[in-house]
Amino acid sequence: MTKPILVVGGGPAGLAAAHSLSALGKKVVLVEKEDKLGGAPILSGYAKLVPSGEWAKDAIGGMVKRVEDSKMIDVRLSTTVSELSGDTGNFTAKLSSGDEVNAAATVMCTGFTHFDSVNKPEWGFGTHQDVVTTTQVEQMISSGKGVRCPSDDRKPKRVAILLCVGSRDRQIGREWCSKICCSVSANIAMEIREELPDCHVYIYYMDIRTFGLLETKYYWKSQEEFKVKYIKARIAEVTSNGEQLIVKGEDTLVKRPITIPFDMVVHAVGMDPNVDNRVLSESFDVDLEPHGFIDRADSYGVVGATSRDGVFVAGSATGPETIDDSIAQGKAAAMSALECIQATK
Amino acid sequence: MSHSHSSRVQKHIGDPISEKPAVDQEFLEEIFNDIQSDFRFDHELNGCLNCGICTATCPAAHYYDFSPREMVQLLWTENLEGIYDAMQEKIWACAQCYTCAARCPFKNSPGGLIMLMRETAIKHGMESAKSVLRPFSRVMLKLISTGNQLAPDMITPDHFPDWGPNISKVDAPLKLLRKAIPMATLNTTATAWEVNLKTSIELYTIWEETGVLDQLETIDENLFDVIVDIMDEKREDLEDWEDEQEDENDE
Ligand SMILES: Cc1cc2nc3c(=O)[nH]c(=O)nc-3n(C[C@H](O)[C@H](O)[C@H](O)COP(=O)(O)OP(=O)(O)OC[C@H]3O[C@@H](n4cnc5c(N)ncnc54)[C@H](O)[C@@H]3O)c2cc1C
Ligand code: SF4
Ligand code: SF4
Ligand code: SF4
Repeated sequence: MTKPILVVGGGPAGLAAAHSLSALGKKVVLVEKEDKLGGAPILSGYAKLVPSGEWAKDAIGGMVKRVEDSKMIDVRLSTTVSELSGDTGNFTAKLSSGDEVNAAATVMCTGFTHFDSVNKPEWGFGTHQDVVTTTQVEQMISSGKGVRCPSDDRKPKRVAILLCVGSRDRQIGREWCSKICCSVSANIAMEIREELPDCHVYIYYMDIRTFGLLETKYYWKSQEEFKVKYIKARIAEVTSNGEQLIVKGEDTLVKRPITIPFDMVVHAVGMDPNVDNRVLSESFDVDLEPHGFIDRADSYGVVGATSRDGVFVAGSATGPETIDDSIAQGKAAAMSALECIQATK
Repeated sequence: MSHSHSSRVQKHIGDPISEKPAVDQEFLEEIFNDIQSDFRFDHELNGCLNCGICTATCPAAHYYDFSPREMVQLLWTENLEGIYDAMQEKIWACAQCYTCAARCPFKNSPGGLIMLMRETAIKHGMESAKSVLRPFSRVMLKLISTGNQLAPDMITPDHFPDWGPNISKVDAPLKLLRKAIPMATLNTTATAWEVNLKTSIELYTIWEETGVLDQLETIDENLFDVIVDIMDEKREDLEDWEDEQEDENDE
């Protein structure tokens, strides 16, 4: 009778890990804090994903269904792990439900938390209704409602997307680049232009990081085909003149301060460490790296190793990651878990 | 890290278009070394994302051809001629409000760096420093000789028309307001220029030890002479007073 493997977190990484293990005939207990599976793309209602262009509810929804349908996977929703004792081959996890799970290994796929824009008050989120986040625009698109100004439901004629909100900002203790928001913003810009061809979309950037092959599909395409305008400037303030939002910045190419009216301002919010990470670090006895993400103890030899033997980590729990990389890491960490169980037998 | 004995100045490439350098290369390097060797330099310049938030947020940039981002970039890229040029006028546009420092995502202090450039301009007696400070000689006279520029009762609407309606915030029963200040203020509103003799001498010692007097001598010799006279006079007064005390004790 083999013990199951414990997977914590049912986002893209956790779904991939659970699926792979089950496909190889291993039993899995999948513990998810929220009352449904799917992680950020489902819980936050993302629209079309980068880079596939597939709708999140189809792409990630398919992964959810595969896991829900598996007889090998025991899904525990609205549940967390309060303590993990034992060693490789024989862990005991106390769950918030009161249950105990005896597991051979553990894979943490506990993900990230969206940056909360109220922590940058000068950019107007929480003060002006028409200042929204990329997550909100994703929801406007995925719900089928379309992109509208929250204050009066009008179709915006001018939209500004501000990059690096909650990223690359030492003033608020976040030095990292969230990696995906440039491409997500270019994607959203194109979706807005597609839905509202009369709407002008401007992206304010410090650097454009549509890395690797995403450059063609997002940076080039959004300009060539969708006429999205890129302006190199970090915005100082977003205020309002009562009718429209006023964005204050420097056009660093003409070297002058600028104030420009907009109907809607979108914050490209970054990826914070999961707010639970301090608690998770205690209950799973794993180290965090300096930014507060879960530390990867090994980059090459044992993929997904944490500071504790037999406990692995995958996806955006380790730092800003894309969905496809999170999935790949989930599978890799599952493999590392199998390897370590095999070695202790 | 200290730069006092080392220089990070790169070998200068020069302007390929201009025939000869307008300013001697060694002088440009000396100026930059003065700025960069200050212990504050590394604390106030960590790098630069060239994002422009400092300029966007800068009140001075809205009214003058001045950009804190440009100042930071000149220093960061060690553009010696650009730095020298900026010191001829632009650096004096800054209002030293430090909004830029509160916003810079890299936690630089453009305003602090500009202060270093200003101090260097003063040290070298640059004409820009002299002409900017010339209208302030009365202010400097009072500040250096008494430690105070204004007494609270001098802040009246008549004297500050440029404050607009905000003046009403200070044009109030001053005596009463000052009672609310938690620290000891002697509850005086009129005696800012009447400084205790011993305090004055201590103040002068600070000016001497920190190099303020040397700076003053470089940029305004006349004012320097006037202030040195005042200082000598006060020092004599203190000596006389001390002699008197001793005489009294001897009796
Ligand atoms: C606005 C925005 C748009 C994005 N769009 C794209 C895109 O188009 N393409 C792309 O590749 N990437 C995109 N990303 C990135 C994408 O969201 C992540 O790559 C992906 O969600 C990471 O998956 P994950 O499984 O590691 O983490 P998550 O999706 O965060 O899933 C973690 C799961 O763990 C659960 N959990 C958390 N804490 C606990 C706990 N203590 N106990 C139990 N369970 C817990 C959570 O509820 C969640 O279900 C976007 C990100 C943002 C911010
Ligand atoms: S991906 Fe782009 S928007 Fe996101 S933090 Fe990095 S540079 Fe900023
Ligand atoms: S300190 Fe100077 S450079 Fe900085 S914002 Fe104020 S005026 Fe501008
Ligand atoms: S705000 Fe900071 S990083 Fe941005 S341009 Fe100014 S000095 Fe450079």
